[in-house]
Amino acid sequence: MSAAAPAATDPVEPLDVDLVKRSQAGDTRAFDLLVTRYRSRIYAMTYHLIQNETEAWDLAQEAFIKAWRALPNFKLDAAFYTWLYRIAHNVTYDWLRKKKIQGDGEFDDERTEHRAMPGSRTAPQGFDAPDRAMKRQELGCRIQDAIARLSPDHRQAIVLREIEGLSYEEIAEMMKCSLGTVMSRLFYARKKLQEMLKDTYENPV
Amino acid sequence: MKTPSDENHDLIRWLDGEMTADERRTFEATLQNDPELAAEAESMRQLSESLKTHLPAEMPVPHADFFNSQIQVRIAQMDLDEAREREKAAASTASWFSWLRMPWLAGAAAAAAAFAIAGLVWTQNSSSGTSTIASTYTPNPAVHAQVFHSSDAQATVLMLDGLEPVPAEKKIVGFRVHRAESDAEVATTTLFDENGSIIAVVSKDAKGQPTLLQ
Amino acid sequence: MMNEEFRMTKEYPIPKSEVHPRKAWLRAWCFLILSSFLILNSSFCPAQQPAPVPAKKPATDGKVWGALVYATTDAAKLTGSSEKAPENQKDLFGRLGKVFMPYTHFEIIGQHVQDVFREYESWVVPSRDLFLKIDSKGPAPDGGMNLHLQVWREQQVLVKTDAVLHPGSPLFIGGPKWRDGQLLFVLDLAKK
Repeated sequence: MSAAAPAATDPVEPLDVDLVKRSQAGDTRAFDLLVTRYRSRIYAMTYHLIQNETEAWDLAQEAFIKAWRALPNFKLDAAFYTWLYRIAHNVTYDWLRKKKIQGDGEFDDERTEHRAMPGSRTAPQGFDAPDRAMKRQELGCRIQDAIARLSPDHRQAIVLREIEGLSYEEIAEMMKCSLGTVMSRLFYARKKLQEMLKDTYENPV
Repeated sequence: MKTPSDENHDLIRWLDGEMTADERRTFEATLQNDPELAAEAESMRQLSESLKTHLPAEMPVPHADFFNSQIQVRIAQMDLDEAREREKAAASTASWFSWLRMPWLAGAAAAAAAFAIAGLVWTQNSSSGTSTIASTYTPNPAVHAQVFHSSDAQATVLMLDGLEPVPAEKKIVGFRVHRAESDAEVATTTLFDENGSIIAVVSKDAKGQPTLLQ
Repeated sequence: MMNEEFRMTKEYPIPKSEVHPRKAWLRAWCFLILSSFLILNSSFCPAQQPAPVPAKKPATDGKVWGALVYATTDAAKLTGSSEKAPENQKDLFGRLGKVFMPYTHFEIIGQHVQDVFREYESWVVPSRDLFLKIDSKGPAPDGGMNLHLQVWREQQVLVKTDAVLHPGSPLFIGGPKWRDGQLLFVLDLAKK
């Protein structure tokens, strides 16, 4: 980093709260540092939710742009990442809802379920490769594939729980539903994933 | 009597650590006496582990530098648009007030001032946009390019971090190039100073690298 | 197919007499004058003999100003260069100071105004220690220019970028450190 940013000579990275304050004052370089710091997490989140690289990239962009716009309203009372994460989640959720309204059949719950009926195979039968690494890769692909086949609501619940580690209450708040619904969705999603991954090793190396 | 749905919820609540200590004790006792349930719980736990392993919380952003620079570009454009909006609002407010409050002569003067502001807005609007950098590539992986826009400095900035410093003892010579002549056929460019003397000739060597001959 | 051939012919270098009808006419006129003066035994037409046909100037998409700037915190380290920024670079050093923050003293070490050719590469060389190669990719709206830009240092390319330049919105490039300071490059597109 050039001498323009204090972080270059500091042994310690600037704190989020300092970068946020500078950003609120209009310092685009400070905001750029925040983008670098959190882009991988935000991108991972949008990607897991919509399973499309290009769209996820765009939505991650949108999230940061919206965050920049909303900075004057951020009161520094919560962690910056939590606040950013909510914005990213809303952006993705709005996008998913719009897709559903526009009648993009891909996200039709019924169709998704039909594709994931019990007994249907999602992967070619039998393994020729005894190599463990390759099996792991296979498993990774199958998991991604299985996640993609869940309906958005079920996928969201699983991603928020397993990857972001949110509590049921937090999930309920994010998804604007009851605790009971959160639990039903989590249970259902896990059962479905189990079915879809039945033929593979479930124990990661 | 627990409904099947309650039982299912118990299972995942236990799995996800959402039970109270008492509830946990009760459930674990049930598990001990129900091998089928225990098997299902284990299977779900393994699934959870798999998901955590294969759905990473962080994923490298494709074209990460471009991701950042695009954000900067859009922020710059937003700031520019907002500034224009403010100017427009200020101009229209000024003329509105002048119409209402001032006697007609002073009002005419105020209206003229408003027009002057509007004129300023017009020239700003007609001036071109912000320079942008769409993408960067640094052949040396140790060098990292960073792009951002500074509305303060009214410039677009390209930072190159990780460059080898120039040795202190090296003398940096500046050219004041008055005129340049390019010969496309031989792919050379001759640089002249204001007296017509040749400062340097830029040509390409066998590898296509530029060489400066003075 | 026929249309393509027709188009291709149009893009080939057109005979010079067609490109510069005015120059051909001027030559003819000079010759007339010359011959009249020769007859009258005096001549002062500037382009008297059949001058070598001037080469066709390649098409350009604009003009850029490039400068190598040295930035330092220590006034004593300045090299004492007498170069001055052109009038239209308003408060250049002040603006550089806002971006390259620890530095307080700036000087222009070299500068170069260069036409940007439409079909060939253009070099902007205010010094051999930091210079640019520009390939125009055509005009952009609002008087801007699409271009491919390379920053070179002697025989090494530091970075390759695709950019859109607009007049009045210069590019500030942070270069290598040197002697308690840093070399910077400023690139500005001239208004048409």
